Amino acid sequence: MKVFSWTLPIIKMIRAFIYSFQSEWLKRKRSAASWLVILGAFFIPVSITIGRIINFDSLYAVNTSKEAWSKVFGWAWQPMAFFLLPLGVILATSLITQLEFKNNTWKQLHTSPQSLTTIFFAKLLAVITMLFQFFILFNIGIYLAVVIPSIIFRGIPYPEAAIPFMKFFKIDLKFFICCLPIIILQYIVGLQFKNFLIPLGFGLALYVGSMMAMNWKYGYTMPYIYCALNFIKESHGDQPKVNIYIFSVGYFILFTIAGYILYLNKKEKG
Amino acid sequence: MFCIETKNLTHRFSSSETVLSNINLMVPEGSIYGFLGPNGAGKTTTLRLILGLLKKQTGDISVFDKPFHLNRIEILQSTGSLIETPSLYGHLTAIENLTVSQKIYQCPKERMTEVLKLVGLENTGKKKASQFSLGMKQRLSIAVALLPNPSLLILDEPTNGLDPNGIIEIRELLKKLNQEKGITILVSSHLLSEIEKLVTHVGIINKGQMMFQGTLDELLNKQRESSCIVFDTNDAIKTAEIFKENDITAETKDGKSIVSIIEKEKIAVLTEQLVKSKVKIYEISTIKNDLESIFMDITNN
Repeated sequence: MKVFSWTLPIIKMIRAFIYSFQSEWLKRKRSAASWLVILGAFFIPVSITIGRIINFDSLYAVNTSKEAWSKVFGWAWQPMAFFLLPLGVILATSLITQLEFKNNTWKQLHTSPQSLTTIFFAKLLAVITMLFQFFILFNIGIYLAVVIPSIIFRGIPYPEAAIPFMKFFKIDLKFFICCLPIIILQYIVGLQFKNFLIPLGFGLALYVGSMMAMNWKYGYTMPYIYCALNFIKESHGDQPKVNIYIFSVGYFILFTIAGYILYLNKKEKG
Repeated sequence: MFCIETKNLTHRFSSSETVLSNINLMVPEGSIYGFLGPNGAGKTTTLRLILGLLKKQTGDISVFDKPFHLNRIEILQSTGSLIETPSLYGHLTAIENLTVSQKIYQCPKERMTEVLKLVGLENTGKKKASQFSLGMKQRLSIAVALLPNPSLLILDEPTNGLDPNGIIEIRELLKKLNQEKGITILVSSHLLSEIEKLVTHVGIINKGQMMFQGTLDELLNKQRESSCIVFDTNDAIKTAEIFKENDITAETKDGKSIVSIIEKEKIAVLTEQLVKSKVKIYEISTIKNDLESIFMDITNN
């Protein structure tokens, strides 16, 4: 019995965290952020599908090529990495934190029997899970962008080349890591300010600043630059001066700690 | 035993603005405590401090006889609350709003149907909370507060925005919860008339200071004490002399003699003596201060 007694508080904490996460996940149902994830994930694949159908002549060549999957994957990631992904993350994270302000529910959340630590991390995990959901939907979209033309048109074959799962998984994982600094910074600012325009403006300003700093020799220090740097690295083979994944994870950990302390010390909690 | 007890609770929003000054709130277990005061008196600040929504600066807060800051989660597990405006997710239905809390409190799912029935919202179906009327939102918020089967309910102006029928319904519901389930209820309001039919205990706060605290009966006694009898006669001096001879202290105001409530027999004796002394009596009337006037007196002081 003694062996298990010390584990009980840990099990209790984990259970409380899981329930809190389930509660947070339910809150996003039908919210603007959840629609943004779905629409954002399918926007580019749908555009590519339409573009491919319009440029019917090139369909056969692409689908019979050994690089069929990689080509479409690359087309989809280019606008996503530079523009839609960072902006989508800025908007979705701000919208999620805004849910409590907009509905005047911080007081309800903070009078529920859960620790502030649980609330902070359960909500953060819900945002990260939404990003994960976005990546899954985006990849399904890419798959459909390749497959749909071969279903519609008789002469267009299903690509013979096997789907390079591991390659795509690794690229997705890298982009996922590159999004983490954006998520946590937006999350911190979103938790602090009732006015939705503040986290949004903050995110846009940092994004524009990061894009402007692309050619700066210390540009890699900008926390919102890594998605773009990763795309350049993956598509053109340009190696950044530093390991951008370590920087991304480092920023994520640093800002998570800072955000957590700020959240705990908030004078008014609803 | 007190369900909620604060000792010398003081709070400042800035160094020049003291919003609460040495508040010693004592809510007996099993009571319905009416926390009264005009707008801006400090009611909501006190309740927010009790629930940990504001960081405590000076003083002590105990709930269920335990210091709040050391037992926050345990206390909140048995406390339902509604502070000011309804706290609901507008894009979710009534049942989904309850599920958000049900996950955290880990109460049985059947409890959601129970509380919805209790507040009369069992037939709202897929209607989103944002499409509810203010009264429905208020009732759903109460349902959320009742979900964990709390021992203590803290409600800040729960009848705000409700029509008279809604006010009566909520009042009856709270009475029922208190009597049948023994739930201690702390309910704030700026209208005494609204809660005098509900509460067993009363605390009156004004400008951050506790002006009165006690049972409703004690407040009613105060009302009786402040009631008076007015003698309108043609000779106030003579009237005062007669009162003095009968050991009754009278105050003269606008030519009328005002005495505190006295026995019926005494009124008859005084009337007889006044008539014998050829003092003409125009009117003898009783002024009964209602609770609202007492409340106004206390808060104006």
